[in-house]
Amino acid sequence: MGRYILKRIGYMCITFYVVITLTFLSMKMLPGTPFQNPKLTPTQINQLKHYYGLDQPIAVQYVKYMWNLLHGDMGGSFQFGNESVTALLMNKFPVSLDLGLEAIILGAVIGLLLGIIAGLHHGKAMDWSTMIFAAIGTSIPSFIFAGVLQYFLGVYVRAFPVAGWNGPSYHFLPVVSLAVGVVAEIALFMRTEMVEVINQDYIVTAQAKGLSRFTVVYKHAIRNALIPVVTILGPLTAAIITGSLVIENIFGIPGIGSQYVSSIVTNDYPMIMGTTELYAGLFILSIFVVDILYGVIDPRIRVSGGQA
Amino acid sequence: MSKLLEIKNLSVHFNLIGRHVQAVRGVDLDLNEGETLAIVGESGSGKSVTSKAIMGLIPNPPGEIVKGSSILFEGKDLVSYTEKQLEKVRGKEISMIFQDPMTALNPTMKIGKQIMEGLIKHQGMSKHDARNRAIELLKLVGIPKPEVRVDEYPHQFSGGMRQRVVIAIALACNPKVLIADEPTTALDVTIQAQILDLMRDLQKKTKTAIILITHDLGVVANMAQRVAVMYGGKVVETGMIDEIFYNPKHPYTWGLLSSMPKLHATTDKLLAIPGSPPDLANPPKGCPFAARCPYAMKVCTDHMPEYTELSSTQKAACWLLDERAPKVDPPETIGVGGTKNG
Repeated sequence: MGRYILKRIGYMCITFYVVITLTFLSMKMLPGTPFQNPKLTPTQINQLKHYYGLDQPIAVQYVKYMWNLLHGDMGGSFQFGNESVTALLMNKFPVSLDLGLEAIILGAVIGLLLGIIAGLHHGKAMDWSTMIFAAIGTSIPSFIFAGVLQYFLGVYVRAFPVAGWNGPSYHFLPVVSLAVGVVAEIALFMRTEMVEVINQDYIVTAQAKGLSRFTVVYKHAIRNALIPVVTILGPLTAAIITGSLVIENIFGIPGIGSQYVSSIVTNDYPMIMGTTELYAGLFILSIFVVDILYGVIDPRIRVSGGQA
Repeated sequence: MSKLLEIKNLSVHFNLIGRHVQAVRGVDLDLNEGETLAIVGESGSGKSVTSKAIMGLIPNPPGEIVKGSSILFEGKDLVSYTEKQLEKVRGKEISMIFQDPMTALNPTMKIGKQIMEGLIKHQGMSKHDARNRAIELLKLVGIPKPEVRVDEYPHQFSGGMRQRVVIAIALACNPKVLIADEPTTALDVTIQAQILDLMRDLQKKTKTAIILITHDLGVVANMAQRVAVMYGGKVVETGMIDEIFYNPKHPYTWGLLSSMPKLHATTDKLLAIPGSPPDLANPPKGCPFAARCPYAMKVCTDHMPEYTELSSTQKAACWLLDERAPKVDPPETIGVGGTKNG
């Protein structure tokens, strides 16, 4: 197992390196410069370019950037007065992480429950209603829900604050808006798996032992149905944490999303790189965690566990 | 020997979309203590459905056991049992071995735990005792190093070994009846023999009555004392093993025996019964075999024949046995001893 993890970490580093390099190169192909203020004269722009090393060949810039990155230095943001990118990210990221994790946990728990119940009632009303809900949840984007929730629960009923991020009551609307899609996706997936697992021979074996329906479902069906669901959970988590950009904008949440967008618009190179690295790192890490979890749940893929 | 299990007039129907399939149509069977009864017949004859009905494992919907059916186990009617009552019978009084050992075990649960579940549920054993018993059972079914293998997962076992585990699970609580639904069909021939030997040995030790469901007459000859031949959801002939092999009376039984490949056959041809089994969504009014029967008469397609008692143990449902019917000799090809009955 240790060797497997080491090997995986090696691959993760390679993936991470490729992502950084590709981002760096494609970023350099973006039109425009970071210095778009019309008041700047061409000499001033050239001075700034020289100051930030942007007049050097891309290869040199790349090597310099990578060298600094290796030493933990992501550089300073162009748009926020040369403030360190690391500090900016660390400042805003916890908010996005908080929002994303709350949404994924809420979404996964409800989604799994709905999926299990629907799967057990395959072909009945409970199944159909879950399917319809899931279809709606996956096809309507989260910002529509956000608007609807804001209007009814925020403006009309006044149960929750419409926007902001100043305490638990502020979390409800954005978390729910984000979670709807997660619930739908996981419920749909879990339902399909449950229907398949319930028809497996080993479920009949379990029933033939005289186990109660609850035990059969709880001990034999759910664990097996969970295996494929875990695979989507990792990327989904990463996507929710990093993809809550629109929701952050709608609810005025001081997360990393709006900062990312403005950094692209203003060609804030170090900020673009930093945010991408954070996202990519999260994504790669989540897939790694899923693979490890996969082995914990499914003994057949416990990679070179050594006990075979 | 007293009757352990008595199935009377069992009918099982399935309500599928646009089709109402009558999979089992009025089956009567009984099982004595300690004996082995083989149920033979081709796919779709209703033998597996019959066994699932005994276990109360007919999925409802779409399946249902039709009113008027009864399955008496030690005098009590299992058909009237609630799910909770059935749980106390399954695995404890009646248990089951399945056809495909590759899929019959939960891939994410340790072998030992899968054996222990029934012990804990039915015998109230502690985890520790159940584990020791599981190791004992694994030893009993011939698994080497049981104390190590008890903690392994199904994928670490071969097909034959898995079937041994399935047998260990089934025998865990010393059931009175063991239903083996084609227990060797999915195994290769050498393993088949081992598993059958094992079942025979265990039966001697435990005195469990076995219902053996199979389409392999070779297995029947090796294992069973009595045979029930099923066709089209009905039992067409039952008898002691000698009666069925040496003095079969139903043309379908003749066909089955003829289609058994023989070692010393004079022809290279494998004999088959031409035609296909009846559609049980629209079961024939008369004898279900009439359409494929070379001896069919007009009466056969119109009226289902009653059973004719041929001895205290053998009976068959065939119009040829009616006194008004022409006398017909069974074909030579049934091989084992068909000419003996003249």
